[in-house]
Amino acid sequence: MNEDRRADAQLADRIRIGDTEALGELYDRYAGTATATALRVVGSREEAEDVVHDAFVAVWRKIDRFDAERGALRAWLMTVVHNRAIDRVRARRASIDLDDADERSLLRTGPNPTMEEALTRASAGDLRAAMASLPDDQRRALELAYFEGYTYREVAELTGVPAGTANGRLRLALGKLRDALIGTAAAPLNFGDASLRKDLSR
Amino acid sequence: MTTQFDIDCRTLDEIAAAYGLGAVDAHEADAIERHLDGCAHPHADARELIAAASVVPMTLEPAIPSNGLRGRLMATIAETPQEHRVAALAPAPRAAVIEPMTMPRRPWWQLGSTPSAVAAVGLAAAVGLGAWGISLNGELAERDAALRAVASADAAYVAQGDAGRGWVIETGDRAIFMADGLADLATDQLYELWLMDADGNAVAVGTLTDTDGVAIVTLERDLDDAATFAVTVETERVEQPTTAPVLVAALDA
Repeated sequence: MNEDRRADAQLADRIRIGDTEALGELYDRYAGTATATALRVVGSREEAEDVVHDAFVAVWRKIDRFDAERGALRAWLMTVVHNRAIDRVRARRASIDLDDADERSLLRTGPNPTMEEALTRASAGDLRAAMASLPDDQRRALELAYFEGYTYREVAELTGVPAGTANGRLRLALGKLRDALIGTAAAPLNFGDASLRKDLSR
Repeated sequence: MTTQFDIDCRTLDEIAAAYGLGAVDAHEADAIERHLDGCAHPHADARELIAAASVVPMTLEPAIPSNGLRGRLMATIAETPQEHRVAALAPAPRAAVIEPMTMPRRPWWQLGSTPSAVAAVGLAAAVGLGAWGISLNGELAERDAALRAVASADAAYVAQGDAGRGWVIETGDRAIFMADGLADLATDQLYELWLMDADGNAVAVGTLTDTDGVAIVTLERDLDDAATFAVTVETERVEQPTTAPVLVAALDA
């Protein structure tokens, strides 16, 4: 467990026993990134701050569900922020069950020591450069999925491509971000398989 | 009736990135989580992609929230109970009435179980820690272990007698005894904890000397095969009880 993650785990332990100052410290560490994420999704600063507020309150309330051995607190927090922000923009389409989504977040956020270790070495500039270097179609697909809350099938409809192609763009985009962190080569999958295309377009 | 949606390894690898980004339907998310939980294949690449999604927020320039947000948040959480504390501090239902204890006429540890003497009232009664005066702003840090044990208890039994009242709480394959405000002991005395089987065979499972505040003792054995829990006052740890019990709980009621 790296130093940042250990520090976060200690914060989680303190929050678990009702230490409100520990939640304040968590806020001080991550409020900037959390607010940026929420703002990017919902578009309004006032609404973004409501999202951040609600997300930290959710972490406070649900901290006993968090297990530091299974994931990173930072990643869980950001996914909780993301869930709430997406819920707002999806309200016009289909709301999501936030309690269920937070539970899923625990699974989605870890554990992955390789990524967490890589995160301690990567600079924010590296990550932004990696995002900026994505081909337009991949970056657009990633933005539609992550920041606007569309499924890959909806991304396919919005961009006028088959579901398999939209999914492939997401995979390539995320693979490049992953590579920017840990320097491994992404292995593009073969999307020519007919049965797979059928499966993905369902 | 709904049919469970399953995916194979290859499909999981294909849509892992979309899953990490939250861009799959709920039934696909369910299938992915089930698959990852049970699959012998490591799916290392898929897991890395899923983890990589948590990096996306870090590609944004941080946005400084307004000065008032931190204060608003701190004010909210000061009034917001945590889920695990709400569960642990739930009030005991009024239906959980303890029957008066009847003292045995024969040596008590040879009687076997005494289900009619003391009612085992289950978890709901044992989590009535509000009666112990625990407050959200009080000594929660020190008592967290007790609260967590109660919150995750599989079963709980009330032990009652002349010394006061306590609870035997079973969680998985371990059990703890908790009590608050047990009667004080003389300096040369201790409370000794016992488990008895249905034939009355007693086994010592711990001792307790500090009666200030909430006392917590992890029993040295699990509750398997035990019919009765009891506490006696002894001058030293002994192999068999030498005095009548001051607390008794029936574990098989």
